Amino acid sequence: MTPVAVTGIGVLSAFGIGVGPFWDGLLSGRSGLTPGGPGGALAGIVDGLELRDFVRTPGGRRIDHASLMALAASRLALADARIDDAALDPARTGLTIGSSLGNLRETPPFLDRVFEKGAGNPLVFPNMVMNAPLSYVSIELGVTGPTAMVTEVEVSGESAIAWGARTVADGAADVCVAGAVDEIADVLFAVLGESGGLTRDVPRPLDRASDGRALGEGAAMLVLEPRARAMARGARVYAEIVPHPGFSVPAPVHGHPRDADAIARRLRPLVADADLVVAGASGLPALDAVEAAAIARATAGRRVAVTAPRGAIGDFGAAGALGVAAAALAIHTQRVPPTAGTRPPAREGLDVVAGAARAEPVGVAVVSAIGRGGICRPVRVVRSSP
Amino acid sequence: MAGAVAITGVGQVTALGGDVTALTAGLAEGRCGIGPLTLFAHRGRAAIAAQVPELPPTAVSGARRLSRSDRFALVATAEACRMAGLDAALRADAALVVGATTGGMFETEEAYRRWRAGEHRRVRLSLFLGMPLSTVGAAVGQGLGMFGPRATVSTACSSGALAITTAAGMVQRGEAPVAIALGVDTLCRLTYAGFDALQALDAEACRPFDATRRGLSLGEGAGVVILERVDHAHARGARIRALLLGSAVTADAHHVTAPHPQGSGALAAMRSALAAAGVAPEAVDYVNAHGSGTRHNDDVEVAALREVFGARLPRLPVSSTKSQVGHCLAAAGAVEAVATVVALTDGILPPTVTLRTPEPTWADLDFVPSAGRRAPLGIAVSSSYGFGGHNVTLVLARPEVRT
Repeated sequence: MTPVAVTGIGVLSAFGIGVGPFWDGLLSGRSGLTPGGPGGALAGIVDGLELRDFVRTPGGRRIDHASLMALAASRLALADARIDDAALDPARTGLTIGSSLGNLRETPPFLDRVFEKGAGNPLVFPNMVMNAPLSYVSIELGVTGPTAMVTEVEVSGESAIAWGARTVADGAADVCVAGAVDEIADVLFAVLGESGGLTRDVPRPLDRASDGRALGEGAAMLVLEPRARAMARGARVYAEIVPHPGFSVPAPVHGHPRDADAIARRLRPLVADADLVVAGASGLPALDAVEAAAIARATAGRRVAVTAPRGAIGDFGAAGALGVAAAALAIHTQRVPPTAGTRPPAREGLDVVAGAARAEPVGVAVVSAIGRGGICRPVRVVRSSP
Repeated sequence: MAGAVAITGVGQVTALGGDVTALTAGLAEGRCGIGPLTLFAHRGRAAIAAQVPELPPTAVSGARRLSRSDRFALVATAEACRMAGLDAALRADAALVVGATTGGMFETEEAYRRWRAGEHRRVRLSLFLGMPLSTVGAAVGQGLGMFGPRATVSTACSSGALAITTAAGMVQRGEAPVAIALGVDTLCRLTYAGFDALQALDAEACRPFDATRRGLSLGEGAGVVILERVDHAHARGARIRALLLGSAVTADAHHVTAPHPQGSGALAAMRSALAAAGVAPEAVDYVNAHGSGTRHNDDVEVAALREVFGARLPRLPVSSTKSQVGHCLAAAGAVEAVATVVALTDGILPPTVTLRTPEPTWADLDFVPSAGRRAPLGIAVSSSYGFGGHNVTLVLARPEVRT
C-alpha cells in the first residue's frame, strides 16, 4: 500500500484564516470563541472571508458560505504544499469534502419562499444540493479525477480525510485534496437552543464539570500525495495518514453510543502505540463521557497525552478535519496544544493537556472520532519515516 | 477498481412496488409509476411524480421515529439481506455505504414550516433529528445489526452508483467480508420546488430520448445491492446473481447544474469503467442509461454513447428506467443497478415506456420503447450523472461471463 503524505494544510477557524493562526491559536491555549452568536451566544465564527480572494470562475460568484470556506481552505492547502493548481493533472487529481449539515444559511430563506410563494429560487437551488462544495471546488480547481462528498455527523471530517487517503493509497490519484467544512447559522441556534446541549458557561471538553458545547464553524483541507512523489519533488511532509475504514457500534439511531467497551475493543489496536489522542470531545457531557471511557480503556492505563480542539474552535461536523490537521501539526512541530477551558483532573484520569502547550515526542497521533448513530472513524496520523 | 465482485442480493422500493418481484413485473409489463403528486401540495409547472404508493411496514422497533427515507432504506435492505442469505453474524461484520441527498428533509421541512407558522411555541429538536443525511445509515445499521465500516456519500444523482463502487472497493481490499450499498431519497418540497424553479420538470410523465421530451419526473425510493468477493460467496454457498466487473468515477469540473457540453466526464467514466472491467465496447449487450429526459442530458448522453460504441450503437439496446420509476436522485443509480441485475438474471430488456416519437437524429437507435423485451444478456453498463458533474459508470454481467 502506498504511504500517504500530508504536504499541505489549509484551515479556516475561529482563530482566523490560515493554518498559522489556527496552530498559534491552539498552542496559546486561548479560546477562539466569541459572543458572536444570536443573543450573545458563545460561538466559533470564521471572520473576514472575502469571495474575491478565492473565486476565479464566473460561475463561482453565487457560491455559498460553506462552499467558499471549502474553496479557501483548498487553495490555502495547495499553496502551503507549493502546488500551483494550474499544474495539477486534472484526471489524476482527486477531491473529497466532508460536511455534516451542508448549506444551513440559505436553506431557511429558500424554504420560506417555497412555503409563502409556492416556488423555489432557481438562483439559490444549486447551492442547496449537498455536494455544492464539491461542485464549486472541483470547478475552481479543474479537478476531474475521483471526487466524493461524504457526510457523517460529527465525524464528517475524519471520514473525508480517510477517503482521500484511501484514494491516494490505492493509486487512484497522484494528489488528493481532502477535508471538510461546516457553517454556523442562526437556525442551528434556534433548533439546538432548548435541548441541544449548548453550554451556559464555556465548553470544557473532557472536564468532569462541563455543562455543554459551543457551536462553531470552519474548514480544513489537506493535500495528500504518495510519499515517494512528495519526496521526489522535495515537498515538506507534515506527517502520514494511515487509511482505516472505521467501524460502528450499537447506539441509538439519533444519539451517541453508550457502551464504551464496544468502542475500546476496536480502538485498542489503533492506539496501541499512540503518543497522542486528538479527541472529538466538545464539552457535551454524553459524548465526552463515552469518549473518555473508550480512550481510557483502549489505552489501558498507559499514559497518553490527550487534547480536544473543539474547546477552542467550537463544535461542528467538520471539526474532525481540523483535528486531523492538529494531529499532523503536533507530529511536525513535536508540540501538543492544550485543551481550552478544561481543568484537570479530567474525566477517567486522562492526561488531558491543559493550560499550556507541551513539548513532547509525538510519533503517532490518533484522532478518535465517535459519532451519533454509532459510527466511529478513527484516523491514524504517523511521523513520516522514509 | 479492478477485479470482479459478486452481487448476491438486491432489494428495492419504488413507485413500481415494495420489492424486486414488483420491479421485475413492472419492467416486463412496461408499467409507468409516474402519477399525481399527493405527498404534499405544490403550486408550479408540474404536479406529478413517481411516488411510492404506501409506506411499507418495517420490522424494526422504534420505526415510528424514523423518516420516510429511513423506512424505504430499511425495507429494501432487509429484502436484499434475505435474498443474499445474510444471517445476523454476516450482517454484524458487513460494511454499509449509503448514497443520499436529502435524507429526512421531508419531515424536517414540515417541522420547520410548523415552527415558522407559529404552530409550535418552541422549536422541537426531536422533529429535526432525522435531518443529517447519515441518519439513514444509522437507522439501517442499528435496525439490522450492521457494525462494520459505515459511510454516507452524496454526489447528487450519482450518489447511489457511487455507494456501489465504494462498497465494491471495500470488499476487494478486505475491509469487510460483505458490503451493502444503498441509495435512497424521498420526494420533498425543497427538491421539488428547486427542480421546478430550474424548469427541469416535465408537466407530463418524462419521456427520455423522445423528440417531445421537456424534462424529468421526480421519483423516490431505495435500491440496495449486496457485494462480496466471489470466493467468499462460493465458500458460503451463496448464489451469485451478477458480477460487478468494473466501475469508474469522474468529474466534469464544468458547471454546478449543467452537464459538460461534450460530455467529457461521462465519456471518461464509461471508458475507464470498461477498461477497469476488461470489457471491449463490442462485448456490451445493454446500456441502462442515465436518461433523465431533460433535453440537455439526453443530447449529451447519446453523443457520448455514439463516441464509445460507434457504429455498433444502433444494435445496442439503450433504455431509461426513469421512464418507469422517475428520477429517484440518490436512489437512482442504485435502483437502476438493481433493474440492470434483473435484466441480466431474468433476460428482460428494461423498457423506455414513455417513448413515442424518437428524435429524428436518433431514429437508428433502439431505446426499447413501450414494454420490456425478452433477450439473453451477458454484459450491461449502467451510468449515473449528478449535479455538479459527478459521473459514475458500472459494468455488470451475468456470472457465467467470467466463470
